[in-house]
Amino acid sequence: MTTMKNVITTRLSLLLAVLLATAPLAASTPRDTSAWMNETPEQPAVVLVQGATVWTSGPDGILENADVLIKAGKISKVGQGLKAPQDAVVIDGTGKHVTPGLIDAHSHSAIIGGVNEFSNVTTAEVRIADVVNSDAIAIYRELAGGLTVANQLHGSANSIGGQNAVMKLRWGATPEEMMFKGAPEGIKFALGENPKQSNFFNRENPRYPTTRAGVERSIRERFEAARDYQKAWEAYEKDGSEVPPRRDLQLEAMVEIMTGERLVHAHSYRADEIIMLARVGEEFGFTIASYQHVLEGYKVADEIAAVNAGASTFSDWWAYKYEVVDAIPHNGAIMWDRGVVVSFNSDSDELSRRMNTEAAKAVRYGGVPEDEALKFVTLNPAIQLGIDEWVGSLEAGKDADFVVWSGHPLSTYTVCEQTWIDGRKYFDLEDDRQAREDLDAERLALMEKVRAASESDSDDSEEGSPSELPAYLTAQSHDEFCRAHDDDRTR
Amino acid sequence: MNRKFFLSSLAALLLTAPAFAATAFKGATIHPVSGPPIENGVLVVDGGKIVAVGTEVPDGAEVVDVSGKHLYPGFIETMAHLGLTEISAVRATNDFAEIGEVNSDLRAEVAWNADSRLLPVAVSGGILTTHIAMEGGVFTGTSAVMSLNGWNWEDMTIRAGVGMHMRYPAVGGDSEEDDEETREKALKTINETLDRAATYQKARDGGGDVDYDARLEGLIPVLNGDMPLYIHVSERNQIVSALDWAADRDLKDIVLFAGPDVQYVAERVAKENVPVILNSVHVTPKRRWESYDMPFVAAAKLHEAGVKFAIAGEGEGNARNLPFEAATAAAYGLPKEVALRSITLSPAEIVGVADRVGSLEVGKDATMMLTNGDPLEIMTQIERVWIGGREVDLGQDPQRQLYEKYNNRPRP
Repeated sequence: MTTMKNVITTRLSLLLAVLLATAPLAASTPRDTSAWMNETPEQPAVVLVQGATVWTSGPDGILENADVLIKAGKISKVGQGLKAPQDAVVIDGTGKHVTPGLIDAHSHSAIIGGVNEFSNVTTAEVRIADVVNSDAIAIYRELAGGLTVANQLHGSANSIGGQNAVMKLRWGATPEEMMFKGAPEGIKFALGENPKQSNFFNRENPRYPTTRAGVERSIRERFEAARDYQKAWEAYEKDGSEVPPRRDLQLEAMVEIMTGERLVHAHSYRADEIIMLARVGEEFGFTIASYQHVLEGYKVADEIAAVNAGASTFSDWWAYKYEVVDAIPHNGAIMWDRGVVVSFNSDSDELSRRMNTEAAKAVRYGGVPEDEALKFVTLNPAIQLGIDEWVGSLEAGKDADFVVWSGHPLSTYTVCEQTWIDGRKYFDLEDDRQAREDLDAERLALMEKVRAASESDSDDSEEGSPSELPAYLTAQSHDEFCRAHDDDRTR
Repeated sequence: MNRKFFLSSLAALLLTAPAFAATAFKGATIHPVSGPPIENGVLVVDGGKIVAVGTEVPDGAEVVDVSGKHLYPGFIETMAHLGLTEISAVRATNDFAEIGEVNSDLRAEVAWNADSRLLPVAVSGGILTTHIAMEGGVFTGTSAVMSLNGWNWEDMTIRAGVGMHMRYPAVGGDSEEDDEETREKALKTINETLDRAATYQKARDGGGDVDYDARLEGLIPVLNGDMPLYIHVSERNQIVSALDWAADRDLKDIVLFAGPDVQYVAERVAKENVPVILNSVHVTPKRRWESYDMPFVAAAKLHEAGVKFAIAGEGEGNARNLPFEAATAAAYGLPKEVALRSITLSPAEIVGVADRVGSLEVGKDATMMLTNGDPLEIMTQIERVWIGGREVDLGQDPQRQLYEKYNNRPRP
């Protein structure tokens, strides 16, 4: 049923694209560039990956010549010599490496605008979940790099940016269906140059704060207000007075932080502000689930570890603004060595496609062991996002989110061959290649029809012969949905 | 080779102090790039130059045992603002974009900050040479090839006046910058400026009383074919238009600095013998419908078409990731040895410094690195580095210094 509908919509849209001459043909095309054209991949009852090198990111470490048995979308067993029923889908893992699906703790890939609600000093009430773009092509491209979970965060224009959304990259699903069920709610904080508007201050329309001291106050003030708000509600519930306190969605979110129901993900760079927020957390009774970027985290690694905060950093970015002048690529290694749960994030539609080799940089800079380095993009971000009971490692009972790699997952020469989420295959290298050829052939055939039709309908003869490049090849279209955060890396 | 070596080392002995005796690096696998790897090889350096590459240790040479390691030429970042910027968000530290449209009188190398903190960090990553160019205006100035070790911009300049750089206007609907008026205006500036330069030259050479005009002077070598014109382009239509334009103006010596779209015109670029500097592998496809690996396969497509090309990376703070961009191209179809060549010998050839750097060959600078494996792999360590025969202390890298300092912070 859906198949028929898909075929029709695919053909219709192709024809439209051709007629509008906005979709030129290049060397190749992904299988469907609109998420809604893709059916939900089937979930086989049993999947068995056989004879692969399995990086569990769990207590079993790296298992050579191992199998992964999947039943109904969950991992049933990881080990050697596992058996599966005859009708199981079997993946020959000979020479391949299998890892958990990669997790990016800092993404803006699937947000329809609204990355920053800049207008107020703090905007704890706004929600990414309201502006998720499930049709962002970045999602498919990320799947093609082994990414399965992304934490969609607000930007860093203000000190409290809004409520984040953790999603599984179920390409083809609706925004609601992409949400990670059970993931704790969270919120984005931001410290330093961005909330204090160092690089974009608007003199005509100034906004508090413009110093790091002001940033601290802007956050602390909200917690002070939330504490009063919480007291007012407690009093109301206890005394049963007639008029309840007026509901305040900002303060409600702040109260949830203090009660541990909402995780703080705090954009931060310098050592001073990292410590500052740790102390605010101690005062108001919350831990920081993840410092984001945290490029000077290595200077205060012991302090971060002492308050049980996580650290989600860039592997090696630096020198793009003053507060990252002391950023070093050994940041992750030092924090890891001192007991901090460390992840590497992308903050980029481009980098998010190759998080496996980002993990390799923890080996290069500071000598983190390879299996621990891989955890920087699997188990550790899962812990930081509070979803490690379902994902982040290949262990019995967890979701069957995994990646089949052509070789060592930290090697720059390795490519992602298959990406599975919930025991469903969302990316397959061979299918992708085949679909490109099919689409190219179909598009060319449609072009020929259009050409023939226009030749018979009109006296104006076509320029050129079919052996020359068709005109639509020289036409180009601008995709306004394609780029949110990474124009600088599109060339 | 041996005879040659003996003569040159004899000359060296006679002419220089004993401190300059030849050094033989013995036991490593040598990756000359210009030829196949030499296992258990010997590379001899004298007076900053490579004087022998082979398997035998010459008499009298000081032997450095590097058994089990690998020797590679330094990487070349083929298009960067390294040395011209420190922190991009801090305007005072940026010297790579002048205002005005015609900046053909500017020389990038004079703004090179020899003590930029970005340089030792790049060196730690194996980037030992860089080609730098400015980007402000339509004609942006002449570029230079710089060594990443030295005391000032003069002694670090390997070659100045490498090429004149020009930004070709956007063509086609894919760019926000594109509108016909802007394009026409830019093209008019380009054509009128070149016409004026031609007239200026005629008047000057004819003995006319002409006021000196440095901007027009700067363009004369381009008109005469004495200096290549580096055309900066991004999109397919822009590339095609630029090639047409260059042909119309009869400009034969051009180099394209182009985004991955250049793969769509690879056949033509190859046929017209235009060298290409590929502007990055680690980028996203421009258009929604393009396949996810379109930027990754661009280099392989250029190679298959027979284009002479180099891969340029992100430059600046991320210059050290250049080898990994080349590796991604290799993961997606480019032969590994070509990937290595695209960031060593090929760029050296394109920017005209292949007599000095880019490969481990006799007569070239000993600008090289010692690694414990394939340097296109992130997990490989670059252990030692030499630029022009002088070993660079990797401990000078400010990031390593910070690492040492904080890694040794007493634990609680």
